Amino acid sequence: MSILSELMVILLNGLQQGAIYVLLAVGLSIILGTLKFVNFAHGALYLIGTYAGLFIALDVTLSSGKLQEWGYADIGLGWGFLAALILVPMLVFAIGLLMERLLARSFYDRPDTDQILVTFGLAIVVQELFRVLFGSNSLPFNQPEYILSVIPVSGPMTLPIVGQFPRWRLWVIGITAVLVGLVYLLVEHTDFGLVVRAGTRDAEMVRLLGIKISRPYLVVFGIGAALAGVAGVVGGPLNVVNPTVGMDILVPAFLTVVIGGVGTIAGAVVGGLVIGLTQAALIGLPALTIGSFTLNFSPWAQVGLYAIAAIILLVRPQGILGDEEVAP
Amino acid sequence: MARNNKSLNRRDVLKAAGVSTVGIAGLAGCSGGGGEQGGGDGGTGSGEGSGGDGGGGGGSEDYPALGNFPIDGNTATYGFNVPQSGPYASEGQDELRAYQLAVKHLNEGGGWVDSQFDDLSGDGVLGYQIDYVDGDTATDADTARQSASRMIQRDGAIMVSGGSSSAVAIAVQGLCQNENVLFMACLTHSNDTTGKDCARYGFREMFNAYMTGQALAPVVKEAYGEGLKFYQLYADYSWGQTQQASMKKFMTEVAGWEQVKSVATPLGTSDYQSYLSEAANSGADVLILNHYGLDGANSVQQAIDAGIDSDMEILVPLYNRPMAEAAGGAIEGIYGTVAWDSQIDNEPSKQFTQAFRDEYDRTPSGPAQLAYAQTLQYSAAAERAGTFYPPEVIKQLEGYEYSNIGMGSETMRACDHQAQRDVPVVQGLSASEQSQGQYFKIVNITSRDELGYACDEGPAAECELGPAK
Repeated sequence: MSILSELMVILLNGLQQGAIYVLLAVGLSIILGTLKFVNFAHGALYLIGTYAGLFIALDVTLSSGKLQEWGYADIGLGWGFLAALILVPMLVFAIGLLMERLLARSFYDRPDTDQILVTFGLAIVVQELFRVLFGSNSLPFNQPEYILSVIPVSGPMTLPIVGQFPRWRLWVIGITAVLVGLVYLLVEHTDFGLVVRAGTRDAEMVRLLGIKISRPYLVVFGIGAALAGVAGVVGGPLNVVNPTVGMDILVPAFLTVVIGGVGTIAGAVVGGLVIGLTQAALIGLPALTIGSFTLNFSPWAQVGLYAIAAIILLVRPQGILGDEEVAP
Repeated sequence: MARNNKSLNRRDVLKAAGVSTVGIAGLAGCSGGGGEQGGGDGGTGSGEGSGGDGGGGGGSEDYPALGNFPIDGNTATYGFNVPQSGPYASEGQDELRAYQLAVKHLNEGGGWVDSQFDDLSGDGVLGYQIDYVDGDTATDADTARQSASRMIQRDGAIMVSGGSSSAVAIAVQGLCQNENVLFMACLTHSNDTTGKDCARYGFREMFNAYMTGQALAPVVKEAYGEGLKFYQLYADYSWGQTQQASMKKFMTEVAGWEQVKSVATPLGTSDYQSYLSEAANSGADVLILNHYGLDGANSVQQAIDAGIDSDMEILVPLYNRPMAEAAGGAIEGIYGTVAWDSQIDNEPSKQFTQAFRDEYDRTPSGPAQLAYAQTLQYSAAAERAGTFYPPEVIKQLEGYEYSNIGMGSETMRACDHQAQRDVPVVQGLSASEQSQGQYFKIVNITSRDELGYACDEGPAAECELGPAK
């Protein structure tokens, strides 16, 4: 295997691992940047997205949990993946709006610690609710075979130089790129985005100009939530599904925001790529042999993530593309 | 279920006052046989109703205080320490169901208590009603140790059972040894549990990684041929480490294969794609995934999604039902071993499957069978001993021969407390076949005569059981 192909494999693996983090981090980052709201329940939105996607896309039979006990074991709709990809963001967008209205809004002016506590609490409530209803057994989220009945999206495909690579993971990269691009356009090149960005700089001045800033804030929260939902749908089929998936992905998502810089979409993308590539590179790099000493990098993959975060924060406390210091 | 602090104080006082006064003979060492066997002689407990007033304690007049013996009151408490969160949570949930069923049968009769265990009456154990406390190990050794410690110190557990994660089982077993409380290991497959980390107070029904290697090697040699190269991924803790070492040993020695590389992955990894890319490009013919529970479901699923099965054969040395359920059709054709399966055709297996289905309307997994068996095994040993006094119960378990839990004739070997038993080798079924409610095809039930090792060989060579008192 040539060095070029090894590098390409690392690059692709890094991109796909980073892609899900990017989707989550973009939502987290714009909520954090514009509303100054630390949302630890973002992982719960991912969890909701994953389960909703699973139940909309496939015929699912639960083998444990209260729903199964109550006789509702067959709860999958089996409408296919495309339906899930369209409906889940709408559902999670609506949940995001509710969350903003009922919970987040009253915490905007409270300290970060209050926000963290209440959203983390909410995340635990959602996780345990899912555990009770759907059981803690893991459920398989089979990758869709085709989208629109003709476009194959699962199984391996052979790429030049790289060789075989799971097709769905390439789609994850593609879907992420399109969604992030759309959000970027929305925030940077529309009147709506202008109001949001102006509100971020000086909310009081925007209000004085006669703009009701709370409405764009509501939509921003909804969009951030919807992105987490989409991440759940596209990321769900990469792993099996269980109630802890939301918590598991929360820390890497925050790490992505911190590395990339709060409030910037480009920062979230860069952060996701740094994390994904670091992980893929440490796993993929060949062992280093010096005399009788052999250094194997793969056991350091997890440590590497936090090490690179520490290094970046030491050099640039505001993150790679951030323009203000991250609050401790 | 929790008891007040009175028991703790009483226990400490009794321990301080009495332990050294009575000279119960030391237990046999490695070569020792297993006390009086041939069950049924001790069944003093049934219905005698010591009733908790005066003289209770499960034979307390005859033996000094030790661990949580004697028992205060007329209820004996078992501690079930299982993963209710973390990567092995699905397994833990099924174990807990089986533990609860065992307690129900011990108190009210039913299942194996009526049909397979002559020592048990279905009216508690030694006249005591059985109660239990459960804890969440979170698939983490430190959490498990704290949870078990709480069960022993606060709840006065006379026996602790649990596992799923060998790191957990080994940690809790060590604690139980120090606390003089019996530990009936459930799902733990590391060689170390009854090898270098063995304990006098720990007993394992489950086979180990070494035996899995012995059972799998001839089967895969016949299926895939000799002279192949294999690549291993393994969960980076006690089980995974000994599992990959055993696979290396037997795939090399028995199957005549050659290892290309063996790579550690952290426990709880959810995305194996980068590891799998490396494996796919290694030039190996066989990929061995030494992952279990959720990790195993993810890694085998992702290996299939990456198309690795088109160029390589995949082995998953240790399977179970929840794991197969989560991985779905990805396990089709993949060889592995299971603790037990409901398809095994004998009376105890059928009875347990039926009892479990009657209670929970679901098919039990291998870990569930272990949990149920270990709870009854301990209770029957206490009945035979006529007391809960731990050294006497240990005597009853060491060298005990039995054939009542659906895995043929077995011996709980005295030298390392490792059950000598058959090992089922299975092959995963396709998604469409799984809809019938079974996930595996049993390829072979490898006889215990073809497996194992002597007391001075393999993992047992490193075993020092430690004292009984």
